Amino acid sequence: MLDVEGVSRSFGGVYAVQNVSLSVAEGEVRAIIGPNGAGKSTLFNLVGGHLTADSGTITYSGRPIDGASAHRRAHDGIATVFQGARIFRGMTARENVMVGAQPWTRHGFVAAALRLPRHRSEERAIREQAEHALERVGLADWADREAESLPLGQQRRLQVARALCSQPRLLLLDEPASGLRAGERTALAELIEDLRAGGLTMLLIEHDVRFVARLADRVTVLDLGQVIAEGTPQEVTSDKRVIKAYIGDEDEHARGH
Amino acid sequence: MTAEVGTVRTVRRRPDAQRAVGLGLGALVAVLTLLAPLVLDRSQLTVYILTGTAAMVTIGVSLLMGYAGQVSLGQAAYYAVGGYTAGLLAVHGTPPLLGLLAAPLVAGGLAGLVGIPILRLRGHYLAFATLAFQLILLAIVGQVDFLGGDIGLQGIPQLSLLGIQLMTAQAYAWVTWVGVAVVLLITRNIIASRPGRGLRALATSETAAESSGVPVTRYKIVVFALSAAFAGLAGGIYAFFIGYLAPGSFPVLLSFQFIVMAVVGGLGTLWGPVVGAVVITLIVQTLNDLGTRPGMPSYASGVFSYAVYAILLVVVLLFLPRGLLPAMADLVRRAFGRGRRAPAAAGTAVTVDDSTTRQPPDSP
Repeated sequence: MLDVEGVSRSFGGVYAVQNVSLSVAEGEVRAIIGPNGAGKSTLFNLVGGHLTADSGTITYSGRPIDGASAHRRAHDGIATVFQGARIFRGMTARENVMVGAQPWTRHGFVAAALRLPRHRSEERAIREQAEHALERVGLADWADREAESLPLGQQRRLQVARALCSQPRLLLLDEPASGLRAGERTALAELIEDLRAGGLTMLLIEHDVRFVARLADRVTVLDLGQVIAEGTPQEVTSDKRVIKAYIGDEDEHARGH
Repeated sequence: MTAEVGTVRTVRRRPDAQRAVGLGLGALVAVLTLLAPLVLDRSQLTVYILTGTAAMVTIGVSLLMGYAGQVSLGQAAYYAVGGYTAGLLAVHGTPPLLGLLAAPLVAGGLAGLVGIPILRLRGHYLAFATLAFQLILLAIVGQVDFLGGDIGLQGIPQLSLLGIQLMTAQAYAWVTWVGVAVVLLITRNIIASRPGRGLRALATSETAAESSGVPVTRYKIVVFALSAAFAGLAGGIYAFFIGYLAPGSFPVLLSFQFIVMAVVGGLGTLWGPVVGAVVITLIVQTLNDLGTRPGMPSYASGVFSYAVYAILLVVVLLFLPRGLLPAMADLVRRAFGRGRRAPAAAGTAVTVDDSTTRQPPDSP
């Protein structure tokens, strides 16, 4: 479903991602792991459409999407959950989720201003879909709260609900567990497992190896912008190069503190 | 003792009751607004009409800055464009009603074109670009003979609707406030809709909005054009009512005034701009009367009007950062025993949002 072929991207002459290739099958949950600075977020931005590659091609559903803008990709069924709390301020949780319906709705300013029939019928469908998405992530009781007043864990789930409201075919998650407390992490993991059981294809960017171990079908390991290993969670966690990359990382951490 | 004692129960909102109260209040305000011209004298009517045109522009400012998070310090430019469009067409024999309809279209269309390049800018840069546009426009208008140059465009005929000429200020007052109602209705409908939610989303984070499928660039241009169209409509009414236009009628201070009105009333609220327009106009008018009393120095009225914008803006930002209307709404809610605060104004327009500054360096 998603093919990344020899993609490179550099910033100021330094490669953030270098000649990375990977292929995600329909229905697969693929984790991308790696130590800090491995190029995970760059890869996420390349697939999401917030960055363009210097070279290489990204194919989605059999079509190259290199030139497509982020909103074009959203319309093609790629939904995104960002690392930070990218919820929309000044809107309720429900309204935040309703924004996610953009890709499969059409009506614009004129239809809205004049309350044309198209606006009415689409709004009804959006409302239903949003309600459904809120229930799925367990936020139905919080729907009319100000989104920014929710705790971080729920804001992350709210982003997932917004993504689900777009009826995505591919869900990109950028370190969804970062900054969450243990209970919130478990709840998020359960949510991702639930989505996986529903057959949703996911690309899960994550720093923590343990978090992806039971969620991912396959794991791609990045280090210094390159793929150093790929396989099942078990294969990858016993790979010498992976262990070295992570231990090296922790050494640097230790030195830094 | 029941099990519920001690548990915190969230107060459920009752949308139906709220809706009924809102509708009742709205109807009352509408009736009073339409009756007011019957009791006002000629000079009061002039103030009444100019409050209405200011409210129209300010509603657009609130939509643009409060909801969509885009700053414009040059809204008076589109007020002028609307005025000159209507005035020029009428002077050359076009039916005044057509001129009035053309005013928002030309202002909105021009803003759409101007918006294509300048809406790539954000925050302070966008503010300066919109300000610069107004200065350039005024300079050009002052030089072009068929626009009347610096002397101004004179002899604009009266507005006529359905063959009846509007000669009285009362009639203008009604046309103006019906216009305000139309602008309010359009804005209300857009805010709670697919494109409206898209606008409110992009105010927080263009990246996240884009990823949710919002065509950010297109939406920004449309909302900029729409707010300019509101200003253009107001300008058209102004042109027919005053009958004379000059570059000096649309100073930069007027643009600032619209922003002060929006901020004082409540940026990112529907009715806030109307409240702001009324409050600011009344205060400025009172101080103006005071400043022109015998015994006052000649510069008093000028100083008063500048000072009042500055002081009001500072006071409101310090004590009522969300504006008068949300503050009053809170007060009413508290009086009825509801602890819930009104939602914060969307956007908080002037702050540069973290997500856009953290964007990848080469993203469009």
